[in-house]
Amino acid sequence: MKRLNHKLLSYSYFLQGSKRYNRVKSFLSDLLENDEYPYKKYFDFFMIFIILSSVTLLVMDVKQHIPSWLDNIDLYFITTIFILEYLLRMWIYSDIHKIIIDEHDECKYFDKEVNWFSLFLKIVKNKWAYVTSLSAIIDLIAILPSYRGLRVLRVLVLFRAFKMLRYTKSLTGFLYVLKNKKFELMTLLTLSTFFIFISGIMLYVFEGDNKNPNIHNILDAFYWALITISTVGYGDIAPVTSEGRMVTMLIIITGIGLISFVTSIIVSSFNERLGVLREDRVVQEVGKKKKLTVICGYGLLGRLVSQGLKKNGVEFVVIDKNEEMTTLASQAGYHAVCANSTKGEVFEKLGINERISHVLCLTSDDIENAFIAINVKSLNEKVHVTARCSDDEIAMKMKCAHVDQIIMPEEIAGMMGAVYAGEPVAFEALLSIIEEKEKTQIDEVAITQGSFLDNKMLGDVDFEKLRLILLGVFKYSESFKLGEFVFNPSDEFVLNAGDTLICIGYSNAVSNLKRKM
Amino acid sequence: MGKAKNIILFGFGSFGKQLYKKLRSRGHNVKVIVGFDDYVEMESDASADIIRINITKNDDILALNLDEKESIFYCVMNKTANNLFLVLTLKSLYPNANVIANSNSKEATRKLKYAGASSVIDLYEATSRRIVNVLTKPAVSMALDEIIYNQNDLKMLEIKLKENTFLEGKYISEVKFRQMGIILIAIIDKELGYELIFTDHKINHKLDAGDILVIVAKESDIRKFQEMLEIKD
Repeated sequence: MKRLNHKLLSYSYFLQGSKRYNRVKSFLSDLLENDEYPYKKYFDFFMIFIILSSVTLLVMDVKQHIPSWLDNIDLYFITTIFILEYLLRMWIYSDIHKIIIDEHDECKYFDKEVNWFSLFLKIVKNKWAYVTSLSAIIDLIAILPSYRGLRVLRVLVLFRAFKMLRYTKSLTGFLYVLKNKKFELMTLLTLSTFFIFISGIMLYVFEGDNKNPNIHNILDAFYWALITISTVGYGDIAPVTSEGRMVTMLIIITGIGLISFVTSIIVSSFNERLGVLREDRVVQEVGKKKKLTVICGYGLLGRLVSQGLKKNGVEFVVIDKNEEMTTLASQAGYHAVCANSTKGEVFEKLGINERISHVLCLTSDDIENAFIAINVKSLNEKVHVTARCSDDEIAMKMKCAHVDQIIMPEEIAGMMGAVYAGEPVAFEALLSIIEEKEKTQIDEVAITQGSFLDNKMLGDVDFEKLRLILLGVFKYSESFKLGEFVFNPSDEFVLNAGDTLICIGYSNAVSNLKRKM
Repeated sequence: MGKAKNIILFGFGSFGKQLYKKLRSRGHNVKVIVGFDDYVEMESDASADIIRINITKNDDILALNLDEKESIFYCVMNKTANNLFLVLTLKSLYPNANVIANSNSKEATRKLKYAGASSVIDLYEATSRRIVNVLTKPAVSMALDEIIYNQNDLKMLEIKLKENTFLEGKYISEVKFRQMGIILIAIIDKELGYELIFTDHKINHKLDAGDILVIVAKESDIRKFQEMLEIKD
């Protein structure tokens, strides 16, 4: 026993440390469960194809006999895949070796012998939780039709169609709506069952005694009641006595009421859900992006920044807690989410650790901006946070919270105003360059490895011919992101890959140079 | 750098205060005028020279004896409506005055321009431009920081050429601006009207008295350059 114990434990540790085992397991769990894994899509398509073909075989089998090789494919190949999938899902659901290690550690801590029975029970309990989950049950039922002994089981192939829900996300939204309105729908169901019950019995009492040749038993009467109350009205069973017609009139009127009631409940539930669905769509869409900027607050400033970012092709999402604002943002064609940006949830949904590179806090309230900034920084310190602020004191506090950049609109505009007082012409020049109102603009060009400017002395480069004014160069250095700004470098200055040129010139001239890089 | 100007600042809200600080740090003379019911936080800016008047009354403004030729008017009231009305008042009293106003939207900018403001500073436009620049052109925004916002010796300024300087009659390409540590960005050539021309265009301008040069340079180089300009040919 002791030896077995030791062997099992060392094997568990071996699995824990095995790179290959973990790689295979994480690959499979990505493939089966992770919606963001790019190859999951192909797996899903494959499964849907298999399901559809097995359902098609079921339908074809009704009228004409399908060839036995096709039946064999259905029996062996598809079933094998389903069983494999079922087992794999069970496998990746949890790690047995972790349970063993945990149990062992715990026993060691309390100086107890490992109880094999309770350990076994724990493992079984853990996997049982998977087996009893709804999706696993459907998966299991979908395997059953392969047993050819019972004809009825063939219909269970349709459970394979249910399995498809697993592979398509949009359908689950509908189920959610039904779940959400469970109480209302249950009430209505009870009510209509009651009506069907009552009117069915009434009709049977009035016409069941051979007055109506179509009503043979009470089941016929209930069937008639359901067909009538649902306003379908096949007419295969129709009342013949005046008492029966009275009952009919009554349940037709209640039927109309019930139907419209059900419709309105489902519609309103969809409306409620619409916001969430839209949000999910936004999250899904931005999930494909590699780099994402988040704008918190869609006020005056948020709007202008959105415009600017859109023009420059930066991918961004707008978050505002006010629904009107997010509607405005969506109307303008931006991705917008209505959420409270002082909470972590929305940022986690958008992928704070994977793709969010910048967060801009642009609400009109300084304190809220500080709050958002701290929220983001506490989630992931590496995200670059820019916060708008109008108060010097709050700006100090933001600096304490390591906000990367604090933007004070009053300060920026104040500086502009002050520049204007001294140098109105210089100011106009600057403004038209910065605002890109004319074709002349200021831009940056990074020198790439092996380009025609790499390793060249500045004196040898004819900027006049390039139609550019060179303002300065950011010398590349390892420690800084951009390095030191060298204004008006001399002719002996040597350019290297990684340096960034700051030029003023026609947009064409700048893009020309960029193309050459 | 440039000569100290007389500035009349109408309004002392959060923006007005910032503007006041920046103007003072550049050595301009600033007179602050606010309405009677405008709330002014005094503590840190006790040094400010604040006059309270009824800003909607023509007589009150006229009583201040403002010199329209020698001063620049800044209208930075908190409310756009007040600001607009103030610009209108000032323009009706002093048709030739140089009036600058702040705004918070394109709408307001259009109205203020129509009312006669010679230049309008859009608070949010400028801020958003900067935020976008930081994201899309980080190097450019850092360079601009060095030149405009940071208080270091790199400056952007304009120089009006006087009579008989050493530049008189020379073409731009003949002057070695770069070797003097100066980057010439744009000029206003008097012969071509008052349009601002950027020097990246391949037009070789002849410099005359009255032309305005827009340059970026280090303070020491600017001083040298100005001394050179003082020496008459």
